[in-house]
Amino acid sequence: MDVRESVRATVYLDHGATSWPKPQSVIDAVTQALAELGGAAGRGTYAMALESSRTVVRARRSCAALLGVADPRDLLFQPGCTVACNLMLKGLIGPGERVVVSSVEHNAVVRPLAHLERRGAVVDMVRADGDGVIALEDVERSVRAAPTRAVVCTHASNVTGAVQPISDLSRIAHEHGALMLVDGAQAAGHLDVDLADLGADAYAVSGHKALLGPPGIGLLYLAPHLDAEPFVDGGTGGDSASTAMPSERPDRYEAGTANLPGIAGLSAGIAVIAAEGGALRRTDAALISMLHEGILAIPGFRVLGPPPGVPRVPVLSAVHERVPPDRIASVLDRTYGIAARAGLHCAPWAHETLGTLGCGAVRFGVGWGNTEEHVGLVLASLREIVRR
Amino acid sequence: MTPERLRTYTVLGFATTHDALDAEQLLTDLGVPVVPVPAPAGLGHGLCGIMLRVAPDDAGRALTLLGHAGRDPVTVGETQDL
Repeated sequence: MDVRESVRATVYLDHGATSWPKPQSVIDAVTQALAELGGAAGRGTYAMALESSRTVVRARRSCAALLGVADPRDLLFQPGCTVACNLMLKGLIGPGERVVVSSVEHNAVVRPLAHLERRGAVVDMVRADGDGVIALEDVERSVRAAPTRAVVCTHASNVTGAVQPISDLSRIAHEHGALMLVDGAQAAGHLDVDLADLGADAYAVSGHKALLGPPGIGLLYLAPHLDAEPFVDGGTGGDSASTAMPSERPDRYEAGTANLPGIAGLSAGIAVIAAEGGALRRTDAALISMLHEGILAIPGFRVLGPPPGVPRVPVLSAVHERVPPDRIASVLDRTYGIAARAGLHCAPWAHETLGTLGCGAVRFGVGWGNTEEHVGLVLASLREIVRR
Repeated sequence: MTPERLRTYTVLGFATTHDALDAEQLLTDLGVPVVPVPAPAGLGHGLCGIMLRVAPDDAGRALTLLGHAGRDPVTVGETQDL
């Protein structure tokens, strides 16, 4: 089988990393942007450039409507969720300021915080419980202990799928004068994210996971009262005589040529979620539940995170008492054509919390395009692998 | 073919492309003809590169509608255009 056939035949269960395949409407939107929208958005008033600019304006409106953002200008296009997290953290937390953070964060949060810590920020980690969920009283205790600039927490874990109580955490943060900053990489699209309800002051979004867009595009919601320091300076298409970045959003945080294919593709993905999101979420929940219970029924497996029946985004990780995760993932791929990911999933703190830092786990993420047949094939394959 | 003559238009300037094109859609939807044009030199300080050109007779209505929507332009000026 050549590489193309092999890819087409893959049973793809790595939606926690990125969604695949993409809806045809997303592929069409990216292609159309490359083929027809040649002008740079925000640069020039010839017809092609204006159409590019209008595409960005419409996309921003669609994204804002889906995520419950009242003013689309508070939603900033970024080159991915990791960059959005960097802007959120490095733009809002200064030397000497204190941060309370959960122990289940991805390196998109862990590493920027480590960077800030080296420059004098104080980071207090609150440990999640054995299921990977943060206890509100632990966070409250920490923010009471000392003046705190921000509480930082992922909305949903990329290792366990556990969903954190962001609304309650926001309330606690605000009661103590702190900001609530959220990494929503695994949540947007999988959960009905309404930023007006969640109360977060900043919320980073991945465009290429459950929102079904292409890689290289993400979003940052920044509450209107915040003035994060931009860490990318450059051209914005206007006020060119000034050496300073403009103060107005979104331009303040969007220097450089917009990723038009990415934005158009994300907009198409958002349209799919807006139209079918409820049904997709029900399907994903049923599939991850089937996978969860099926893995637990295979002797020797342990599934990390919340038990069956507790809501999660459709991601779970498992370990076997005898067969290492790397071998499981490799055999799943080579023998069965199943794409799953072994390792630490860029989340060493989470694995340390769950007791799997030394061995890692094999992770499955279900999403767009997956079926019961796929999950059945995974379970049958796992049974064979651990019997060997 | 009779050569076109320069006419005076009102131009509305905005801080960002988003604001300019948001205003364009709002005014178009409400029946006010607008044409996006490059910001004329001398009017461009603090503005994005796009201004909205409106006929002088429509300028008052355009400003009223934008004001009601909370989308006032940053600058209002005049330009000569064909």
